[in-house]
Amino acid sequence: MTNPMSDYAFAVFITIITGGVSFVWFCLDLRNLVLARTLDGSDPSVRDRRFGYSMGLVIATIGVVGSAKFWL
Amino acid sequence: MTALAGETLAGPGAAPARRVVSPWNPANAVTASRFFTLPVFLWAVHHGYHQWATLIMLACGLLDKLDGLVARIFNCKSAFGELFDAIADAACYGFGLIVVAAYGWAPVLPVVGVLTLGAVNTVMRAIYLKRAGRATNYKSYAMERLVAYTGYLIGFATARFEVTFFYWLFLPVMAAILVYDTKRMLIDPIPPALALAPTLAPAEATR
Repeated sequence: MTNPMSDYAFAVFITIITGGVSFVWFCLDLRNLVLARTLDGSDPSVRDRRFGYSMGLVIATIGVVGSAKFWL
Repeated sequence: MTALAGETLAGPGAAPARRVVSPWNPANAVTASRFFTLPVFLWAVHHGYHQWATLIMLACGLLDKLDGLVARIFNCKSAFGELFDAIADAACYGFGLIVVAAYGWAPVLPVVGVLTLGAVNTVMRAIYLKRAGRATNYKSYAMERLVAYTGYLIGFATARFEVTFFYWLFLPVMAAILVYDTKRMLIDPIPPALALAPTLAPAEATR
């Protein structure tokens, strides 16, 4: 069975899927986190959002670095 | 099959009305279709087809996104659907991790650690279910993001990216989220039910 694309095209495709999507995700969660900081921190759901967005930033960074490492 | 009872759907300004959602709905069909990707994924890994394995796992992830969209379009959100989606997530990504580790595409020890922490999370959710008397209305933003990280782990392994470092890094991230969520589930007060959140029927809640 043949591969659907060349090795190079596949590496680019995966980089876009992981690194590219992670970068967009990082930007969105950063925006969400900034917006959540203006909300009332005594509300548990707000604290959960802040924690979730912070973890989102960490995981998105890992996605960007992980896919970039393939090319470095 | 008996439909889930006790669901409320209150529109703005309208009196809450009971609404029954059959578990045989399009959203759950999309969720169930994710299971069909697993044998194909195993076949691809077994034959060393890295690209096909990656694409199949990607399709599984896209179906995960699609079921929520279908539920909104067909207005068929339900407590069973949310639970089924969580089970499908655990089964699909757990299976994916086990397969890539079993075929030597990923380190075994961190995969065992991830699966153990996943089991602990399931136990915590079961305790929360008993404590709160409802299966849903517990949303963890951090855990949702962790599911995406699991997707990376499988994708990196099938695409022959760097794996060891990121597999080990997953453990402290997951442990931190698990500690935070455990505090929420076991110690923090239970938040009131949301208007749109389906709840268990009183008979089920008192079991």
